[in-house]
Amino acid sequence: MGSVSNWIPNASMARLLFQAILASLAGIGLLLAFILGRRAWRAFHFRVLNAHTFRFRQKWNDIVSGAIPPETWRFNKLDRQIVETILLDSIETGAASDLPPLIECLRSTGLLDLRIHEARELHGWQRRNAIVSLGRTRAPEAIPALAEALDDSDAQTRLAAVRGLGRFALPQAASALLLRMAEGTLNVPEKTLQNSLLSCCRTQPSLIVPYLRRADGPTREILARVLGELATPELQDDLLLLAVDPLPEVRASAARALGHADAQFAFPILSALSADPEWFVRLRAVVAIDGLNHPRSIPALVRALCDVNRQVRQRAATALSRLEPHLEEILERVLATRDAYALQAMISALERSDGLANLVAALKDPRNPRKAATILLRALHRASRHLHSARTPAGTAPEALQEPAETEEVTP
Amino acid sequence: MIRFLEISNYTLFYYYLASNLIYVVLLVTAIARNAIHQRRLSSIRIDHIKDSPFTPPITLLVPAHNEEATIVESLESLLSLDYPELELVVINDGSKDRTLEELTTRFKLRRATLLYIPEVRSASVRDIYLSANESRIVVVDKDSGGSKADAINAGLNAASSPYVCVVDADSILEPDALLRIMVSILAEPKRVVAVGGIVRVLNGSIVEKGRLTQIHLPRRPIEVLQVIEYLRAFLIGREAWAHFNMLPIISGAFGVFRRDLVQRVGGFRASAIGEDLDLVIRLHRYLREQRADYQISFVPDPACWTEVPSDLRSLARQRARWQKGLLDVLWPNRDMLFSAKYGRMGWIALPYQWIFELFAPVFELGGYFTIVTAALLGVLSRDFFLQFLIFGYAFATMISLGSVLQEEITYRRYNDWRDVVRLVTFCFVEHFPYRQLQMIWRLQGLWQYMRGDLAWKPLRRVAFNEPVPASKEKTKASAAGK
Repeated sequence: MGSVSNWIPNASMARLLFQAILASLAGIGLLLAFILGRRAWRAFHFRVLNAHTFRFRQKWNDIVSGAIPPETWRFNKLDRQIVETILLDSIETGAASDLPPLIECLRSTGLLDLRIHEARELHGWQRRNAIVSLGRTRAPEAIPALAEALDDSDAQTRLAAVRGLGRFALPQAASALLLRMAEGTLNVPEKTLQNSLLSCCRTQPSLIVPYLRRADGPTREILARVLGELATPELQDDLLLLAVDPLPEVRASAARALGHADAQFAFPILSALSADPEWFVRLRAVVAIDGLNHPRSIPALVRALCDVNRQVRQRAATALSRLEPHLEEILERVLATRDAYALQAMISALERSDGLANLVAALKDPRNPRKAATILLRALHRASRHLHSARTPAGTAPEALQEPAETEEVTP
Repeated sequence: MIRFLEISNYTLFYYYLASNLIYVVLLVTAIARNAIHQRRLSSIRIDHIKDSPFTPPITLLVPAHNEEATIVESLESLLSLDYPELELVVINDGSKDRTLEELTTRFKLRRATLLYIPEVRSASVRDIYLSANESRIVVVDKDSGGSKADAINAGLNAASSPYVCVVDADSILEPDALLRIMVSILAEPKRVVAVGGIVRVLNGSIVEKGRLTQIHLPRRPIEVLQVIEYLRAFLIGREAWAHFNMLPIISGAFGVFRRDLVQRVGGFRASAIGEDLDLVIRLHRYLREQRADYQISFVPDPACWTEVPSDLRSLARQRARWQKGLLDVLWPNRDMLFSAKYGRMGWIALPYQWIFELFAPVFELGGYFTIVTAALLGVLSRDFFLQFLIFGYAFATMISLGSVLQEEITYRRYNDWRDVVRLVTFCFVEHFPYRQLQMIWRLQGLWQYMRGDLAWKPLRRVAFNEPVPASKEKTKASAAGK
């Protein structure tokens, strides 16, 4: 009878095992050395870093003013990194009035030129690092280098450039983005792009309008969303055009923007949008109408209260519950709809806002001579009782109340 | 008999070889992916996500079953999370303790006549409460459905955000965890349908007012061993599987899902033992059937901290339950195996789960049996056995050290030198007898499932930082999956 080792290709297997043991032991040794060595090195590195940083902090004003010549620290990599880090952190956290000397220091010491050179000449993660630093400088002369990086073949570099431009919060930075969007050459995630545009166009939202007029498809949607966040009353005419756009996302953005427009101008458009075929456009319109807080909105909101979509209904109810001086009129209108779901949404919103107790107390008040009030109170009680008995949480909702997906479909 | 031993020997040897090779691939992939992720993070400002009006709202679903000890602290911690638009749906799943009373007292709950549409099936809902002092809280009080999945389903129906995040009531999220987990969704909102974050071991750390204030390695060896397991599972396994878009599980303790998709696949399966694993596999199935271009992702930096069992009995129950859960999910989905329709999930991920996760304890037991039998028959080559043993030990240690390395080069949550030394030391001692105990517990789980023993064992919760007496039970539903 042989041994187990005879049943397997003996020599090669044993050799393989032996090599595997050696490899594993070597792996263990390397990993251990790396983990512990790295710890030790980091402890040492941070001790040195802290000491140098402390030294630079002590004479920081002289470094910024140039009293200490940059040649004394610029050629040492660690010192250069420390000064740049302190400068960029100060730029990010400082007030606008503190920025000019800091940015000037970046220029005069050559740190800015060095980063611009790196952003143009280097590749991969080194270019990305340079771009991230440039984005933090807020020096307008860095914008062209960042704009060039928008055409990089690497998606992460493009993303870093978009984020960097966003940090400038300057219209010049927005132009670089808008130009490439118009050409259709900018391939980055839309949320990042929206955020950067939002930041750059905040002082000058009209910058978007000419591009929006020419754009179509997803680009048009992105621009409309940004404009929806930034629009000012001066852009009313453009918003009017967006409100009748064939793209629902654009109409929704127009509704959002109209929430900040003049009420007299916005109301008829928002009222029309609150009857839009797309639920999220209606929802945006109702939210905007709520922002106007005007009794003229009652009919549109009562109509929205009967919406097939739960969220539109709830938002309309919340908006109506805020129009407290007109609650009697609102309840009369709601009861007239004979829509139990609408009434329930209304009662619920009133309950949340403490309006129901106030309303019932007011209606019960004998000093209130209005007969309608008594009738209304009875109707309300009746409807409320009816609803309470009808509410069966485990039951099935009517088909019409099924809510459509809120996010976009996965693209097949 | 000799022939049988011969075949077993071959099978076990190649099984072990394949398993180790896969681990090497996973380790290398995870390290590479992590390095890329770190570089990527350097250009992202998390606070910009927080300030952006385009950041989508999230509903946190917090199922609570007899959580009176921790529920208020947990919710306060969740409410303090950095996220622009947050809704908290707490589901009181038929608690028999004072969970609802604690919530009512702290958050001044008031019954609300909100319309509740059961789009996803769950046990009946008794009432819905809103908070008078915290508008972001909705409490759904329901009959116990006997499972966490049933409670989450009720929460799904009450949620109003496009994304939902399932969080255990006794877990603690880091303040920026939601912002960080949303990074991958915001980068590709149409493609990324679900994201998991890392679950870490809370034992030993200090929590004050629902916030983690000091991170330490736990004292008990059994807890430290679980720290290594969690690091290995998340920083190597999840990280690498997600890279290939074959992530089979997003932990029930912390994961974000697109609400419409979860509802479309029917929500969580109430009868599932591992509801988190079950949902992710069903999402893969559904999306592959739709031929969708999608990604189920894992982000290693948003951390959720959770208590792990601190005594053997609780741990045994948890591991048996995980194994039962695995079988309970793999068996109904066996038609996905080697089906072209399910692509790499059917050809790689699920076969791996069957062979190297589900049957691992069976193979291991087979290995011990073969060795003992060979020894009894006097045919065991001592040299070969010893070599094989040393290799197994060294390789497993290397993989565990790899997970510690991942932790070290990326997140370094354990800053104390002593913690790192202990962590490294435990990488060397986890193989005997902890590994063998795991095998027994997992076999128990398989046996229980086949016997039809699917009962949910009662839980007992303790407040954060409260020491857990060894005799008391403290199991978690499905804290971290495998």
